[in-house]
Amino acid sequence: MTLELKELTGGYGQVSVLKKETFTVEDGQVVGLIGLNGAGKSTTIKHIIGLLTPRGGQILIDGLSLQDNVEEYRKKIAYVPEMPILYSELTLKEHIDLTIMAYDLDHDKTWAKAHELLKTFRLDNKLDWFPQNFSKGMKQKVMIVCAFMTDARLFIIDEPFTGLDPLAVNDLLNIVEEKKQKGCSVLMSTHVLATVQDHADKFILLNHGQVRADGTLDELKEKFDMQNGNLDDIYIKMSNEDQ
Amino acid sequence: MTKLWKERLRRHQLDQFKYLRLIFNDNFVLAFIVLIGALGFWYSNFLDTINQVNVFGKPVVIILFWLIAQSGSVATLLEEPDSTFLLVKEKDFYEYFQAAKNYSSMLPVVTIALVGFLMSPFAFKAAGLSVLSIVMLTLGVVVYKFGMLNFEVFGIYGKDNFKGLSAKNWINLILIALLILAVYLNSFILLIGAIVLLGIAISRSKQICGSGQLQWQNAIAKENQRMFRIKRFYNLFTDVPGVNSKIRRRKWLDFLFKGIKQEQSNTYLYLFARGFVRNNEYIGLFFRLTVIQAIMLCLIDNFYISLIVEMLFIYLVGFQLKPYFKETMQNLMQRIYPVKQTDKIKDFTKLSTFVLFVQWIISAFAILYKFSFSMNSLIIIAAGLLVLVFVGYFYIPRQLKKIF
Repeated sequence: MTLELKELTGGYGQVSVLKKETFTVEDGQVVGLIGLNGAGKSTTIKHIIGLLTPRGGQILIDGLSLQDNVEEYRKKIAYVPEMPILYSELTLKEHIDLTIMAYDLDHDKTWAKAHELLKTFRLDNKLDWFPQNFSKGMKQKVMIVCAFMTDARLFIIDEPFTGLDPLAVNDLLNIVEEKKQKGCSVLMSTHVLATVQDHADKFILLNHGQVRADGTLDELKEKFDMQNGNLDDIYIKMSNEDQ
Repeated sequence: MTKLWKERLRRHQLDQFKYLRLIFNDNFVLAFIVLIGALGFWYSNFLDTINQVNVFGKPVVIILFWLIAQSGSVATLLEEPDSTFLLVKEKDFYEYFQAAKNYSSMLPVVTIALVGFLMSPFAFKAAGLSVLSIVMLTLGVVVYKFGMLNFEVFGIYGKDNFKGLSAKNWINLILIALLILAVYLNSFILLIGAIVLLGIAISRSKQICGSGQLQWQNAIAKENQRMFRIKRFYNLFTDVPGVNSKIRRRKWLDFLFKGIKQEQSNTYLYLFARGFVRNNEYIGLFFRLTVIQAIMLCLIDNFYISLIVEMLFIYLVGFQLKPYFKETMQNLMQRIYPVKQTDKIKDFTKLSTFVLFVQWIISAFAILYKFSFSMNSLIIIAAGLLVLVFVGYFYIPRQLKKIF
């Protein structure tokens, strides 16, 4: 699965947040999307999942754009939003049923996967709970379960590491690794650089709606001329370039 | 402090106007006029059937006056942060509450006067009260209401207990007693009693409030509840932010979902059906309107009015279901599901048609009960079905397309 952004320009209303953003996510790659608040991370994600329409440029998943075939395009993506969004009228079990229906998945096979995930996140005894009884972290886990039980090839996770307990962060990283082994791609935006530094293959540094730099940690070190720096240092150097 | 009150009031009124403008849209005004007309027609017919003073006349007048005296309470417009930020200003809040009380008197006065006016032909015919008595009774209830609002302000200061019974209960008991005396003996009794009560309340107001302590938590909670009631009412007609309706599991209704097969085209039906049954707002709306309709149909024996009630209420339920679709469509996750837009509309149409169908069946029983098996009842039932088909298959799908 490859995701390609070609000179993507877009934003909300008349304001262009993204200016000719270009990058690719290759098969079996875990990519970290990094940038300051307001750099355009969430806007980029919203364009990829099709909640916003680009003003210019192209977004292709395996060469397919949203306009070509909406349903096919959407089936390839699973998304975990920063703020959990659940249906207040549905129980946890029904959220899983609904996702199975929406993505037209095999009922029994998917439920087997779901059970495993629920067990990992210690939710397997809360199947009949309503969202209002869940804490924020638990809601986030529900979103993760619903996303990772699908047959999507591209997983997009918006700020996955805040709100989750350390154990859950670890579990999530294991699941990401598992998907990666199966050839799926993962794009995650985050501010928790120490974690993403160890678990992503490639980083995309966004600044003012443009890709300032991208590549592996070593490539970034070279680009910023910081042989001994870590991702934190590079990030701060990039932020200081504005001043 | 009065400045604070004025600012709050201005903001509050602006808010109210915003919602009222949304509520009184074309559809609603039309339905409203028809409903008022139907009620007026029923009332005048009902009056014609009364040709002599009736034993029930006076009790009905007493109960109606008592009920209408309960309407309206002091709108304090207190807000959550007040208990933190304005705590130091506690002493000055007396003026604020007086202003609030004066403002809150207007609506009850208008309501009581209106009810008194509308009730007058009935009170005259069925209860045998003179016009002067009716005017005096109405005036008495108005003055009494002023007194009640004063006592409510005492309640804010924790002074709402008198000899083990809450002040509110005392006042209501006294009102009933005065109403009975006034209706059966002399209508001036209520007015005099009300003036005495108001006199006591006003003359001792400052002293009573001064000796108490402002019950911030209670007062704010009460105001929040009051606001919530208003907003929930508005929410029946339009979207009000911040009104989250209650969700109940209602496991015993799960059998309703058995017929929904778990396949992709039913994704939204799965969601809509559960949401409708579990969200108090929508099932409540359906339940209320259906029950009111059934009761009206059981009581009214005029063919044309029954016809209007049957058609209007089916239309109303269909019309009021629309916001539910809109609400669900605001959920971000559903927008990224690989499901066709047309399936969403199709699924919602299935739900709304089913809901209207249940309502239609219930109303049909009510009609058959009143008109038995006749040409008239068949015409009304057929008209209901016509509205059902129109709303379910033409009106709702077209309206939903506009929402996207």
